[in-house]
Amino acid sequence: MSLNNWQPVIGLEVHVQLATRTKLFSSSPIAFGADPNTQASEIDLGLPGVLPVLNKEAISHALKFGCAINAEISEKVIFARKNYFYPDLPKGYQISQLDDPIVGKGSVEIKLGDKSKIIGVTRAHLEEDAGKSIHDLYSNNSAIDLNRAGTCLLEIVSEPDLSSAKEAVEYLKKIHSIVTFLGISDGDMSQGSMRCDANVSVKKPNDQKLGTRTELKNINSFKFVEKAIIFEIDRQIKELEKGEEIIQETRLYDSKKNLTRSMRSKEEANDYRYFPEPDLIPIKISKDQINEVRKNLPELPEIMKERFMNSYELSDDNAELVTINKETASFFEEVLSYEVSPKNAVNWITGDLFALLNKNDTNISESKVNPKHIAEIIQNIEDQKISGPSAKKLLEIVWSEGGEIQELIQKEGLEQISNDDEIEKILDEVISENQKQFEQLKSGKDRLQGFFVGKVMKKTSGSASPQVVNKLLKDKLSK
Amino acid sequence: MSELINLSLTDQILGLADKSFSSKEITGAYLNEIKKKESLNCFISVFEKESEEKALMADENIAKNKARPLEGIPIAHKDIFCIKDKKTTCGSKMLSNFISPYSSEVFSKLDTAGAITLGKTNMDEFAMGSSNETSFYGNVLNPINEKLSPGGSSGGSAAAVRANLCSFATATDTGGSIRQPASFCGVTGIKPTYGRVSRWGMIAFASSLDQAGIIAKNAKDAAIALKYMSGFDQKDSTSLNEEVKDLQKEVDADQEHIIGIPKDLIENIKNDQVRDSFKNAISILEKDGAKIVEINLPHIEYSLPAYYVIAPAECSANLARYDGIRFGHRSESVSSLEDLYVNSRTEGFGREVKNRIFIGTFCLSAGYYDAFYNKALKIRNLIKSDFDEAFKKVSSIAMPTCSNSSFELGSINDPVEMYEQDIYTIPANLAGLPALSIPSGTADEMPIGLQLIGNYLEEGRILNLANKFQKLTNFHEFK
Amino acid sequence: MKITEQDLKNISLLSKIKIDEETSDSLMKDLESILTMVNKMDELDTSKIKPLTHPIENTQTLREDIEKKDIEREKLQELSKEKDSGFYLTPKVIE
Repeated sequence: MSLNNWQPVIGLEVHVQLATRTKLFSSSPIAFGADPNTQASEIDLGLPGVLPVLNKEAISHALKFGCAINAEISEKVIFARKNYFYPDLPKGYQISQLDDPIVGKGSVEIKLGDKSKIIGVTRAHLEEDAGKSIHDLYSNNSAIDLNRAGTCLLEIVSEPDLSSAKEAVEYLKKIHSIVTFLGISDGDMSQGSMRCDANVSVKKPNDQKLGTRTELKNINSFKFVEKAIIFEIDRQIKELEKGEEIIQETRLYDSKKNLTRSMRSKEEANDYRYFPEPDLIPIKISKDQINEVRKNLPELPEIMKERFMNSYELSDDNAELVTINKETASFFEEVLSYEVSPKNAVNWITGDLFALLNKNDTNISESKVNPKHIAEIIQNIEDQKISGPSAKKLLEIVWSEGGEIQELIQKEGLEQISNDDEIEKILDEVISENQKQFEQLKSGKDRLQGFFVGKVMKKTSGSASPQVVNKLLKDKLSK
Repeated sequence: MSELINLSLTDQILGLADKSFSSKEITGAYLNEIKKKESLNCFISVFEKESEEKALMADENIAKNKARPLEGIPIAHKDIFCIKDKKTTCGSKMLSNFISPYSSEVFSKLDTAGAITLGKTNMDEFAMGSSNETSFYGNVLNPINEKLSPGGSSGGSAAAVRANLCSFATATDTGGSIRQPASFCGVTGIKPTYGRVSRWGMIAFASSLDQAGIIAKNAKDAAIALKYMSGFDQKDSTSLNEEVKDLQKEVDADQEHIIGIPKDLIENIKNDQVRDSFKNAISILEKDGAKIVEINLPHIEYSLPAYYVIAPAECSANLARYDGIRFGHRSESVSSLEDLYVNSRTEGFGREVKNRIFIGTFCLSAGYYDAFYNKALKIRNLIKSDFDEAFKKVSSIAMPTCSNSSFELGSINDPVEMYEQDIYTIPANLAGLPALSIPSGTADEMPIGLQLIGNYLEEGRILNLANKFQKLTNFHEFK
Repeated sequence: MKITEQDLKNISLLSKIKIDEETSDSLMKDLESILTMVNKMDELDTSKIKPLTHPIENTQTLREDIEKKDIEREKLQELSKEKDSGFYLTPKVIE
């Protein structure tokens, strides 16, 4: 893609499903994947005479987010009705916030290589989610499932401070990491716990005014956010360079075809007729309440990273890697609780384990490998009980089958041969089979040392300690 | 048995307790009377069998000395209050098939107190109307003169009390819907402080104005009934978490009264009989020792316009849930989603309801919000401040309930003329203050009411004053 | 206050209620007379007044985050004319 001197301007609206047990305005459970309409009470269905009662936990979650991004917190939280008709919106209005959102202006910092950039957060407000309309289940009907209707959402709106798809992804990852570290959302994009809309426009560097923007709806993975924005920037530039105008519209990203297409514009202009929700009284948030939240805020990734660098002497990069999400950070600290060296722990987690996770497209909390596995593998290496290759083999076994490290070492015969006599016998065999090379080594061709060590390792299927082989070989050469 | 139905609630409670008569007798007597006066069209549903069964159970409880406060007292509920497994229509075709899966808090509280529900009373559709003519079930006749309107929207409840079809009836008041029909039917009606009675399960018209109350034979009866209906309810966010005073005690207590009279308003009353009867009522109270003080409510004339923005705006959203999908009328002629919405709603709502939805939609729509809705909310603030100022000097405020006595059914066709019925009752709704109407004389040979408005949570004080007046006069007496 | 045909179309569209041609004239008259009455508000200068949404602004009590598991889908769905396998049905929506 050639930017050809165009400057993309991107803002994200991230909808985070809050990790509450019940809905925003009703006590209904919110189990994911439950039978249709079994999580929808008379309140969620909007039957006549029902009333909303606000979930305390949702307020508390939103306050945590606000404090975490150093945002202004509204002293008075007001809900508003957003009016429109759609079958998955049972009341004909969504209870949301317009004026006085619970979280006002704040900011987050994102990393771009070795540079960092501050991204403004305009606001974050609480609102109820809609249900689901399923259009492909019946030939003549759409099916409505209101299980999700009323679920707590925090909509986080960024300033148009992002200038590339890459930055958008970094910002999204940052928001993901903040909400998961705070424990206010599971952040699971595959289950819709985090959804993202992107406002995209392009302009020439000297233009004061922003270009006409399009809104990309429901791009629900980090990968698609990047691809959708890249496509859209490219499309807009091509249109503009053809002399066409950009139409302000909502576009859907088609991940199969990797393109965005215009959503059929609704027959009426969107006039949501917001007005203050008369069933709810404004909620006052006191300074004490905010201070209390601030005091009890869980450790955030930046602070945790600093601590890891200071207490465990991790490099900046390594500390960044193990604080990539809450699960990895806790995994790392649990490995350390077995008293292994932090450096080895980082190397194993971010090296071999991450490679497996990436290859299998899964995350650390879902893998069979637990912190104890990693700790014991490291301990066995540190005690020279197993060799590096054996350790890798062990990891692959526990990755696919789980099990106990000690038992596996026995069962797979991976215990390292550190008995000098036994190794010497094998080394002698190797020397006698390769007399010519041994003479060359003796005469100073040092790089053949590895050749002999390798041969011994091969004969012992990797269970000989390379250190011992080296030592014995040196002895023989000096004789 | 016909004299049983003429007894006041107070005497019925006493008579049941000392076993002068049974609940079976009194319930049977009311059921007979309901049948006899079916042509008044007071009821939408009557629960004959169930009432008789409950009366037997009540008699058992009384025999076992386990009587609850309202044990065996036959009452009626306005058909706006949901009762579990019972049809709740709100006077609309839209809900003519709605069997509620839950009960309103008003029903539950009175049911728990031992009252027997004889049936559900007729009303203007969705409580929108001042003559009971907008009901899908046809208008109610005024028991005093069947050519005349009983008032609205709680016309069924007021007429049922006047015709001796129940001991007392529940009702709701958004802009005068308890007080105006009470005035037209010569009975006592009270709308308590906004938030005093739970709105849970009470079908919404305008959430920030709707409040449930009581229509009864006299102030003392109303005090007893209201006492058992009031209280904080966690299911209603606007419910007041304040102690419920013992109204039964307070209504008879020795209290001093300072009554505020809005002089300008009184001088501007066009109907001489209404003005004279008001002045007469005040002089009766003054002679009895009440202090009369002239007050100024400078913005009260703006109540009507402000109300006719706020109430329709809230109603336009509250009635959006009637879409034919999950409950309520669903049109038979449907080929698209738009058809389903438009046809169900166009067929299900009557003209007055549609008018109000249109007005509300218009006032909230883009470009009009500030000029209409926001302006009305500001005026609401001015009106509340007027009252706050007045209550620094007085303990209650008196004015007529209505500018006229009952009118002929079908005689008012201009909507604004109909809306002006509520010109004196609306201010208390806008300010959320408790207000009642008691019979205080006649105009054109029909009853008219004296309205008493109290300060927040001072229901007891205005009931006490009303009771005082009823001890001195016999306007409230009827057979 | 004047209501235009376009206003009428717009509110009909937003409220999902049909306005048929026979009644639109009388409806327009009704709405105009209501809005004329409402326009009395303009007499007051409210530029320095704050809007009041609730008569009594005590802070509401919030709800504890505890599930109530008493949802009876079949009972609730008895109220609906069109449902199948637990879903509510509408005419097919083409996205």
